[in-house]
Amino acid sequence: MRAKTWARLIPLLVVLTLLATACGGPTPEPESAVVLRVGMSGFPDSRNPGNAYLTEATDLLELVYDSLVTIDFAGAYHPQLAETWTVSDDGLTWTFTIHGDATWSDGQPVTAEDVAFSLLAYRDWEDFGYWSGYATHFADAQATDPTTVVLTLDTPIGNLESQLLYTFILPKHIWEPFAGDLDAALAFDNAEMVGSGAFRLEEYQEGEFYRLAARDDHYLTPPIVDEVIFQRYSNQDALVQALRAGEVDMITELPNTVVASLRDEADITVASGSSRGLRDYIFNLSSPDTCPVDDGGICAGHPALRDPVVRRAMATAIDKQQIIDVALLGLGSPGIGLVPVALGDFFAGELEDYPFDIAGANQMLDEAGYLDTDGDGLRECPATMDCGGRQLDIVMQIPSDIGSGPREAELLSGWWAQIGIRMTPQVLEPDTVTANCCPAFDFDMLMWGWTSDPDPSFILSVLTSAEIPTGLSETGYNNPEYDRLFDEQGVELDPARRVQIVHDMQRMMLDDLAYIIPYYEDEVQAFRSDRFTGWPLPAEGSGDILYLQDPLSLTVVSPVE
Amino acid sequence: MVRRDYLVKKIGWSFLTIAFVLVLNFFLFRILPGDPTTSIAKDPRLTAEAREALARRFGLDKPVFLNLEGGNPFDSQFFIYFGRLFRGDLGTSFNFNRPVADLLGERLWNTVILVMGGQVLAIVLGSTLGLLAAWKSKTGFDAAAITFSLAAWSLPTFWLGILLLIIGSTYLGLPTAGRETVGVEFTSWWAQALDLGKHLLLPTLTFTIVLLGEYMLIMRSSVLEILSEDYILTAKAKGMSHFQILRHHALQNAMLPIVTLIALNLGFTVSGAIQVETVFSWPGLGSMIFEAVRRQDYPVLQGAFLLVAVSVILANLAADLVYGALDPRVKAP
Repeated sequence: MRAKTWARLIPLLVVLTLLATACGGPTPEPESAVVLRVGMSGFPDSRNPGNAYLTEATDLLELVYDSLVTIDFAGAYHPQLAETWTVSDDGLTWTFTIHGDATWSDGQPVTAEDVAFSLLAYRDWEDFGYWSGYATHFADAQATDPTTVVLTLDTPIGNLESQLLYTFILPKHIWEPFAGDLDAALAFDNAEMVGSGAFRLEEYQEGEFYRLAARDDHYLTPPIVDEVIFQRYSNQDALVQALRAGEVDMITELPNTVVASLRDEADITVASGSSRGLRDYIFNLSSPDTCPVDDGGICAGHPALRDPVVRRAMATAIDKQQIIDVALLGLGSPGIGLVPVALGDFFAGELEDYPFDIAGANQMLDEAGYLDTDGDGLRECPATMDCGGRQLDIVMQIPSDIGSGPREAELLSGWWAQIGIRMTPQVLEPDTVTANCCPAFDFDMLMWGWTSDPDPSFILSVLTSAEIPTGLSETGYNNPEYDRLFDEQGVELDPARRVQIVHDMQRMMLDDLAYIIPYYEDEVQAFRSDRFTGWPLPAEGSGDILYLQDPLSLTVVSPVE
Repeated sequence: MVRRDYLVKKIGWSFLTIAFVLVLNFFLFRILPGDPTTSIAKDPRLTAEAREALARRFGLDKPVFLNLEGGNPFDSQFFIYFGRLFRGDLGTSFNFNRPVADLLGERLWNTVILVMGGQVLAIVLGSTLGLLAAWKSKTGFDAAAITFSLAAWSLPTFWLGILLLIIGSTYLGLPTAGRETVGVEFTSWWAQALDLGKHLLLPTLTFTIVLLGEYMLIMRSSVLEILSEDYILTAKAKGMSHFQILRHHALQNAMLPIVTLIALNLGFTVSGAIQVETVFSWPGLGSMIFEAVRRQDYPVLQGAFLLVAVSVILANLAADLVYGALDPRVKAP
């Protein structure tokens, strides 16, 4: 009898002992410094900008490095390291005056020499991460005195501020040995990350966390908090739980499925705003005459999809709001073109989208001669076309990393079946989709997405014919008028005129429908309202960006008293 | 005493297996579809020249097996891979742009702490519970122990982990991620050890519960089988107590299947914690493997596979040797 009781107690005792050792005893000393803790589910891939491709890495770079200019959440540019600047009438010579009291995190002063060095270093490295692409047209940069830099361009650039945004100014005394030598620059570990930003890197544990100390001596935006710790959670449920338990003060992302339950928590605020991300349904428009055969083009798309009438009918048979409600649980806004609503003035909000109208779509196809002659529910190409008699039976390839992909495809198949088009979704490894995509053009339709720069130039470039052989064009869209407008907006120095051209290009996108853009994704983040206050949140319906890990946010938040 | 030819044979086979794994490991990652430069490049805007430069930097411009284009026939990816391997160079991670050996080395220790703790607890608790259940067979205790073990064994690891994580962090204030509280200056080594203990508790508990059931069930059935042997009856007839019989006659024989199980599980130490590490963001090899799969970081996967394969083979070798020592029948020619 005695032994029996004992046996029952053993496991219980072990667990209790474990719990006692873990929960009891003194806890570590409380910190007097104000520490803001951020939870995220990714981690920077590198501290060296040249090897940094992930958004988490860009976040870190922006906190540690300053650029000449910065951008606010509404998309307006503001001075950062450059106090003021002027541009010559021909748009080729830009003169910047640098803040005289800016210093590097190692104590040395930031001079015009550093700026001139950085601008040219990015250009000379040619393939230094994403960043060299912003410096291609820099002809020369000279420091004419300790606070003046003169930048000359080889062609006028209408959106130079947007290119300077990501030209992080590097300390010449650290990076000079690597000037002009891309391999050496990429091999540099940049462990200290000496920068002129509002935060200094204190500690960095690969894949786990990094710790930033506020630079109280920052010339422009000294942060209110003392430290910011970014900790990685390899699991989103744990990330949300960490916020609930108060272990972190803010999380940079959360699954849409927990939004409703988090909103009910007393001390947690769920914030949402625009992001620059969008979903796209891609049509293969490459034809035998435009096929980039030399670059591996196969151009095997269904010929009927090259007919704008078919694409318009398909766009008319889509209820974008329902896709947003089902796939994103409402956290998005209907899309029109490749320029997302978060790009402010550049977004062509005045355009009227195709209204959801199944009967209308059927009528369009009937009138164009796509009829279901054999009564099997699928329409066929009219005999006059080179695909005469072929059924409108297409496959949409979906990369497996789009979580909502299958649900979206299910909705699309349902609608398109009602207009006599069969769409079969095919979920594939992202690498395989990349290989089939472009410039191979070995697909009928693809589901994918883009995240735009703050400036529309890049996202507009993916529809230019110049990008067909490079693989950047996913559609094979070839319209000389569009190409002309693209070149024009690139050199237009009058901002209002440039906005007008960008709007015209979006109208062209909507007419020609190389892409169907179902939605622009919302950014959803959450923070503990009992810990820190002053987070810059976008006003309802403003279309402004939400980005709580941005320097603009982290330098202004303060602890709740 | 283990016979020499038994020893030589077992060690020889282990080395052969490792050599086979090395070759397989090389080809496994080269028959995957897709161009590796796509996953190294990460940037779709990369020019063709830059892509070629990347391929050169990672040695992907060379022929895979034999260089038949003149020059040194061994100037190929295959022989370079082996050459580097012998120098302990496992290549460079696509994602972190750092040597794979360094990355694995940083994380191996974390995994060992977690998995060893969980294993030892599971072995001690599981075998004890199994022994007691067999001893008290067909009682309420036995039934409860079996139910608990079956339930624990069949629980999905990630689900149990998340459940414990939510309960532990909500009611006990235990941390939800990582290995230490970041940004805290520890006043003494024991404060630091305590912090580590807090972070270890939930993942270890998850790991223990998941493994415990298996040890318990195998121990119980093994002991039950032995208790029905004639020599146990003899022992009883000699007037030995239950405890003496268990300790001197049943336990050693019942340990044989457990030794096999321990060796198998220890072999998977380095990889076995993928789910637990991912749930608790424990910076070990498991979460690194998970991340490498997501980012298609082939060099890291290749290095991790190698480490896992070698440790499984070595653990099996150890099991064979211990077996030889425990069971005289194994040594017989």
